[in-house]
Amino acid sequence: MSASTGTGRFAAVALIAPLLVFIAVFFIWPLFTVMSQSVSDTAVLNLLPRTAQAAKGWDPESPPTVEMKTALAEDLQAVEDRQALGDMTRRLNSAQPGFRTLMSRTTRALRKDDLPDLGEVDERWNQPVYWQAIVGALSPTTDRYLLAAVDLERDVSGNIVAMPEEASANRTIMLRTFWVAALVTLCCLAIGFPYAMLIASTEGWKRQALLGAVLLPLWTSLLVRTAAWFIILQDNGLINWMLTGLNITSGPIPLIFNRTGVVIAMTHVLLPFMVLPIYSVLLSIPDNLMKAASSLGAHPMRAFLRVLLPLSLRGIASGSLLVFMTAIGYYITPALIGGAGDQMISSVIAFYATGSANWGMAGALGVVLLAITILLYAVYGRLSSAEERRG
Amino acid sequence: MFQGLRLVFAIAAVTFLLAPLLAILPLAFTSSVFLTYPIPEFSMRWFDVLFTAASWKRAILNSLIIGAGTTVLATVLGTMAALGLRNWRLPFKGTVRTLFLLPMVVPAVVLGVGMQVLFVRLGIASSYAGVIVAHTVVSIPFVVVSVIGALGGIDRRVELAASSLGASPLTVFRKVTLPLAMPGILSGAVLAFATSLDEVVLTLFVAGPNQRTLARQMFATIRENISPAIAAAAFLFIVGTILLAAIGLIVRRQVAARRGLQKSES
Amino acid sequence: MSDLRIRFDHVTKCYGTLCVVDDLELDIAKGEFVSLLGPSGSGKTTLLMMLAGFESPTKGRILVDGEVIDNTPTYKRDMGVVFQSYALFPHMTVGDNIAFPLQMRGIGKAEIAERVTRVLDMVQLSAMRDRWPAQLSGGQQQRVALARALVFEPRVVLMDEPLGALDKNLREQMQLDIRALHNRLGLTIVFVTHDQSEALTMSDRIAVFNKGKIEQIGSPREIYDHPSTRFVANFIGETNLLEGIVDGAAGNGVRVRLPDGRHIAAAASDTLADGQNVLVSIRPERIRLDDLHGGTNQLAARITDSVYQGNHLRIQLDEGAHNFVVHLDRKAAQHQPGAEVMARFQPDDCWVIRS
Ligand SMILES: Nc1ncnc2c1ncn2[C@@H]1O[C@H](COP(=O)(O)OP(=O)(O)OP(=O)(O)O)[C@@H](O)[C@H]1O
Ligand SMILES: [Mg+2]
Repeated sequence: MSASTGTGRFAAVALIAPLLVFIAVFFIWPLFTVMSQSVSDTAVLNLLPRTAQAAKGWDPESPPTVEMKTALAEDLQAVEDRQALGDMTRRLNSAQPGFRTLMSRTTRALRKDDLPDLGEVDERWNQPVYWQAIVGALSPTTDRYLLAAVDLERDVSGNIVAMPEEASANRTIMLRTFWVAALVTLCCLAIGFPYAMLIASTEGWKRQALLGAVLLPLWTSLLVRTAAWFIILQDNGLINWMLTGLNITSGPIPLIFNRTGVVIAMTHVLLPFMVLPIYSVLLSIPDNLMKAASSLGAHPMRAFLRVLLPLSLRGIASGSLLVFMTAIGYYITPALIGGAGDQMISSVIAFYATGSANWGMAGALGVVLLAITILLYAVYGRLSSAEERRG
Repeated sequence: MFQGLRLVFAIAAVTFLLAPLLAILPLAFTSSVFLTYPIPEFSMRWFDVLFTAASWKRAILNSLIIGAGTTVLATVLGTMAALGLRNWRLPFKGTVRTLFLLPMVVPAVVLGVGMQVLFVRLGIASSYAGVIVAHTVVSIPFVVVSVIGALGGIDRRVELAASSLGASPLTVFRKVTLPLAMPGILSGAVLAFATSLDEVVLTLFVAGPNQRTLARQMFATIRENISPAIAAAAFLFIVGTILLAAIGLIVRRQVAARRGLQKSES
Repeated sequence: MSDLRIRFDHVTKCYGTLCVVDDLELDIAKGEFVSLLGPSGSGKTTLLMMLAGFESPTKGRILVDGEVIDNTPTYKRDMGVVFQSYALFPHMTVGDNIAFPLQMRGIGKAEIAERVTRVLDMVQLSAMRDRWPAQLSGGQQQRVALARALVFEPRVVLMDEPLGALDKNLREQMQLDIRALHNRLGLTIVFVTHDQSEALTMSDRIAVFNKGKIEQIGSPREIYDHPSTRFVANFIGETNLLEGIVDGAAGNGVRVRLPDGRHIAAAASDTLADGQNVLVSIRPERIRLDDLHGGTNQLAARITDSVYQGNHLRIQLDEGAHNFVVHLDRKAAQHQPGAEVMARFQPDDCWVIRS
């Protein structure tokens, strides 16, 4: 209607605003929460406000002051939430081993006595290292989760170093995620590209049928499809039933709870995302280009390599990006069809979040996954908008 | 030879695409407690379980409630925004559009973690409202895309003509724009419902035991004690999908026929 | 005929039951420029596609230089094809497009560069070598397509309505260019067109197609002045057709009796039996109007309409039994509707067609 007038613009803004607010609150804010979880480190600060105050201006090389010890004792006495206390102890212990015993002894002493001198409760309270650990943990933000997400940590002097081998497996899991996603992308490409060419080269009901075969799975519930693959792949599933029935193999071959099953099922789920972009690009290539190539003396194979393939590259790139991007964030299929060795980054995030309530780690891995996904999406957006401009 | 190769490939690929769907359907009627072939005897016992066992009954009911809530919320918000985007001539239009499509891209687990933490703070964790809101977020892109597509197919001159004939902007909207965009809005609504029905990951993070949906129940069943009830549920899903697609097609045909086929492709 | 290049030997092409090329025979000599002209759907493209190898005949054979090529795949046929929509490779520059057929033939880099330069000079596009096809105008793209089809010196160049998408001026310029190239390089060209004036301007011979068959083949002059069927007479240019019966010889032609008993003297290709039903074709520009009486081949008529058409005046005559169209010099402005005139034409300008 009248978009040029003031009321028109006002109406447009008024129409968009509700969704904008909704998305900001229920989509952006949660993502922001994830990000802040990944850098937030308030387990210590929340419980020790007085200590934080008293430790201001303290020289970390010198012994702790009396005020600091008193403040800490007061802070600890004020704590009522035992879980928060546990969190704080765990946090401090990871920075300086020995805190666990130190804390339990101290809290026990605090329960008995009113305000004892901490240096007398335990000798260690006179050593600067423990106070250094506390002061180090007082900052409300930290990069330790983000570093840990890629298997890095800070050593005592604050330099970034690699974690010891046995401490964390995040890098392995990330590499595995990429590897599985790449495998799935390759499989999708290997099936999807010829399939898209097949659709583009047929007409009438055959084309409709081939397209329908791609679209029907796309419209079917993901869970139904995963359940179906479960039925087909399990040890007494369809494939093994047929194989043993025909005496091709003596026992069932393992197809489920391993990499093979995950790749097969994910390829099936993501294949439409490969076929459709390639198909639409192929449709846009005039078919007299291939005729022209052959009239100019190009063998069909060379015509394919020199003309069709380069022209469909955009479709291949968009399809591959789309599949890869979706695959690295996948959760359901690996969770149901994969074994312990096939869990991808999403599963680890879910484990940290729901299994061990380690929000920092969940957030940090989430940020990494989010960053990679958005990056891939930006590349994809560039590709497809370039496509639009060309078309 | 080349033709033969093509045929073999076509058959293999179509089999790969459709076999899973075909494999699961007959098992809905198995009498066995195992989800395996061969089927000893045909029976309806698993449909019985689906509609009588408390957990499944509850799950179906929850899915319908949450699906309906999501459909209404997503369709209203998405349609309004699509209409606004159509008239908005500001430079941020592209950015806003991308923002509305982003929930389709962001890994569900990441969004789920954020929602779990935030929803506790907002006090809507483990509530129907929370689950509906979560599902709406991921349904929005489908509604927006589909309504924008429908609006793009409307010839603006028709609206100009209507207002030149004396219709007020609101009347133009009610009598011209809305009816022409209706197929897009409806298909957006269907997609929103389907998305909600199939959503698991966010449900895992934000729903409590009382909001267990059908999809969530299926997820648990596959994970814990795989039973043919899931095949029966899958049967309902697939039949429902085909039914919805058929209805959609028929409605489209009728609309196209009524409008003399002049814009059947929009 | 030692310089025979292409022979269509009873070629038929059917899609299902519909035969779009029907038992067709056509010989084309080396160095000849043959146009295929005919209404839409008459099978011209199909014929070309069979020659290029994109379609194979249902029946019959196609021979090139005496060899049957039915089993030769397109890429070995050595024919340059210029498509209506040019079919330039959008992902290659102009230079790469033209180099493509040479690369396919395994020619060395240096020679490719040299030949591309030469052919670009020929089509006057040397400056465009590194441009992309999308950056060229329609006429320039057309010339690139032409250069690409010529650069490998094919035995035959096939063109399917190559000028259809160009505006009138450019089209006429390209017609002359192609014609000049043909003369200079001695190319064998098969040229499909809708446009009769294009066919008349460019061709050595024109084959007029109708429903999968060739109605007539001959030089532009033969086709225009001496059409052999009613279809050809109507399809090429405008004409006035009078029905009649042969009634004796007259000079080196025949006398034709019109249904109302009047006679017309007309030229004819071969001897016609008395009493045969014929049509007499008289081109509108061969008719003169005056008000003198007497002499043969004249009909009294009344002017019903007179339209100024730029290079000529188009006049409609009502003669009672017939309506005539006459093209006159545009200066003959004295002819007003309603005027009574005599329409007069030379026996040489009347052509008899069997009906
Ligand atoms: N692949 C095909 N299948 C069925 N019919 C076809 C096919 N290709 C062409 N035809 C039919 O063959 C007939 C001749 O087509 P053709 O393209 O040769 O005509 P044309 O003389 O080139 O016409 P135009 O001047 O419009 O290009 C048409 O009626 C067309 O519908
Ligand atoms: Mg044609």
